[in-house]
Amino acid sequence: MEPMQLDPTLIKDGDFVVIRMPSTNSKIVCIKSGATVSLGKFGSFKADALIGNTFGHTFEIEKGGAIKPHKQAGFDNADITEANNKEIFDDPKAQKLSFEEIESLKAKSLAGDVSAQEIIASLTENNESFARKTEFSKSKYIKRKQKKFMKSFLPMETTVHNACDFFFEANSQKIRGIRTDTLSQLLSLANVYSDARILAVDDGQGLVISALLSRLGDGGQVFAIHDGDVHNYDVMRYMNFSAECKERLKALSWSKLYHEMEPFTEELAKNATEDDINGRERRMRGHTKLSDNLRNLREGEFDALVISTNYNPLSVIKKLVPYLGGSRMLVVYDQSKEALLESFAWLRESCEFLNVQLTESWLREYQVLPKRTHPMMGMSGGGGFLLSAIHLAPTED
Amino acid sequence: MFHKYKSVIEEGDTIIVYVSPEAMRPVHVKSGEIFNNRFGSFRHSDMIGLRYGSKLRSNNDKGFVYLLHPTPALWTQVVPHRTQILYLPDISFISLYLDLRPGKVMIECGTGSGSFSHSIARTIAPTGHLYTFEYHELRAATAKKEFEEHNLSSIITIEHRDVLANGFGKTDIADAVFLDLPAPWEAIASAKDALRKDTIGRICCFSPCIEQVQATALALDEHGFSEIRMFECLAKDNEVRTVPFPDIEEAINGQKINFKLSKCDRKKRKLESEPASGGHDDEGKDAEILISKPIDTARGHTSYLTFAILAPEVEEE
Repeated sequence: MEPMQLDPTLIKDGDFVVIRMPSTNSKIVCIKSGATVSLGKFGSFKADALIGNTFGHTFEIEKGGAIKPHKQAGFDNADITEANNKEIFDDPKAQKLSFEEIESLKAKSLAGDVSAQEIIASLTENNESFARKTEFSKSKYIKRKQKKFMKSFLPMETTVHNACDFFFEANSQKIRGIRTDTLSQLLSLANVYSDARILAVDDGQGLVISALLSRLGDGGQVFAIHDGDVHNYDVMRYMNFSAECKERLKALSWSKLYHEMEPFTEELAKNATEDDINGRERRMRGHTKLSDNLRNLREGEFDALVISTNYNPLSVIKKLVPYLGGSRMLVVYDQSKEALLESFAWLRESCEFLNVQLTESWLREYQVLPKRTHPMMGMSGGGGFLLSAIHLAPTED
Repeated sequence: MFHKYKSVIEEGDTIIVYVSPEAMRPVHVKSGEIFNNRFGSFRHSDMIGLRYGSKLRSNNDKGFVYLLHPTPALWTQVVPHRTQILYLPDISFISLYLDLRPGKVMIECGTGSGSFSHSIARTIAPTGHLYTFEYHELRAATAKKEFEEHNLSSIITIEHRDVLANGFGKTDIADAVFLDLPAPWEAIASAKDALRKDTIGRICCFSPCIEQVQATALALDEHGFSEIRMFECLAKDNEVRTVPFPDIEEAINGQKINFKLSKCDRKKRKLESEPASGGHDDEGKDAEILISKPIDTARGHTSYLTFAILAPEVEEE
């Protein structure tokens, strides 16, 4: 029997999409019907042209903001053994096109009158030293120019990996500096699965919460505790989560942790206006929600406790461990090891925990090209630390 | 079991018996049987009915063990090694990159010791499916038995098959493919065949040698895969200790501090030497600091992870 397949992921009206540009910089944009999406010097395109497409293709922008899938060139076989800079002199006069001529070509290109290939062709034709370059450096030169002049883009789904990667590059402080590999280990260590009930604290604008939600099915739940009156899980809005998925998030403010519910007693005045009626209903819904949430939390026996907090993590652990089930995982993330040391020492001394571990994750990307494979020249300095431990069942002896 | 938590140990469960981080053992609970270790023996019938995460004393009361719920992460630490296995950092990174979540259909080749299979099954259950292929007949049979014991048969289909000779026998079915083969480049055509054509497909090839990566990347490129990217990931374990951190004045005054004593022994010595003063803290001399450092030897390389995507087919205009 063939298994059920998930629906293909199509770009829908109102979806957020990560757009990677020829420069390899990315931006996150909302694809709204009727709108034009601007990619700066790489041109702009009509959002409607992208709606209904699948992910995976690179698109080329045509005149008037139309787009078409663009077959990407495969590997080139330039041979590095011939590469040398013996004949290359740093000569600004090598380029015969004037600054003005190049600027005018760029403007025409942006208007869609000249293709990127045409600009690059005229740049190489008019570059006196180009002919003297080896095949290897010719290919490198053309690639560099493509990064500047191609009017193409790759739309990428805001999967947890892509979203984490994007925010880590764009604004790592927003997500408390958690890198994709660290986030992935957090999900494994916490043993997140479809039906899991997870207690979580995420002061990193909801990336961790989003990652947890993405791994849940119908029976699962994330119970999140946040400071302030309402949570600020901004990252969630980029994830294109379904309504059912968002329903799996329950949120409670720290200020309500020890709240005792009173029965809802508000009565309507005789001459109540429509506003009064609506107001009372709203407060009643809030009352029911808070009461449900508190009952839910106090049932305890959560399947995992996941913490990424700006507060002292040990103080958070101590407050929330009573709600964690036996033989279930505690996982705490922080950008710095120092913030986790006191918690580590406490967990190790506690007879409620086993197998306390503190790990730093390390990730290196490589350039892979025929005969030119090597680690990337730049890498991230750190992706954060994970403290984990197994919580035991309460003992009788 | 591996894809759903339970609270109480029952007959037939596979549990993890924990003595220390280095001494964990999987045990298939069956009344009448006995688990023995250097602390004594433990009757399976005494385990049944206990809550997961409980402590169990041995029959002679000489020691105890903890009875843990199995998870894919623990299984990775206790799985009987029939092959080199995948470890948590690689398993985690591959799963996130391939966007595994409930409902996804995945192909794994080869199954090996089944370490990754357990983790995949946990993540894609209950609606997803894993097809896993192993060309070694005995390994395939052993893994099949394990998946059955772990109640994973509805999520994992294992087949003894030489995919290099015969392909996967699957077309347009998988969201993701994982290849852990000596020559993954020879299976790229089959992988392409197996991946769905109506939505983005993702592939990961796991190879310890850079020469394998080279050949794999060329094959991926040739078969129309794009976004070929390669990573290496590791997790570095740290040890945390409280150590003496005295002022140098102590040495100037002729005091000699034993830096090797553990925190516990330091406390004991102190109580013995000055029982009268009790907890009195003589600053400088008793100063301590909480420190951490990476453990002395760590895993330096597991494998290179080569990823690529397969764009859905587009109709020609």
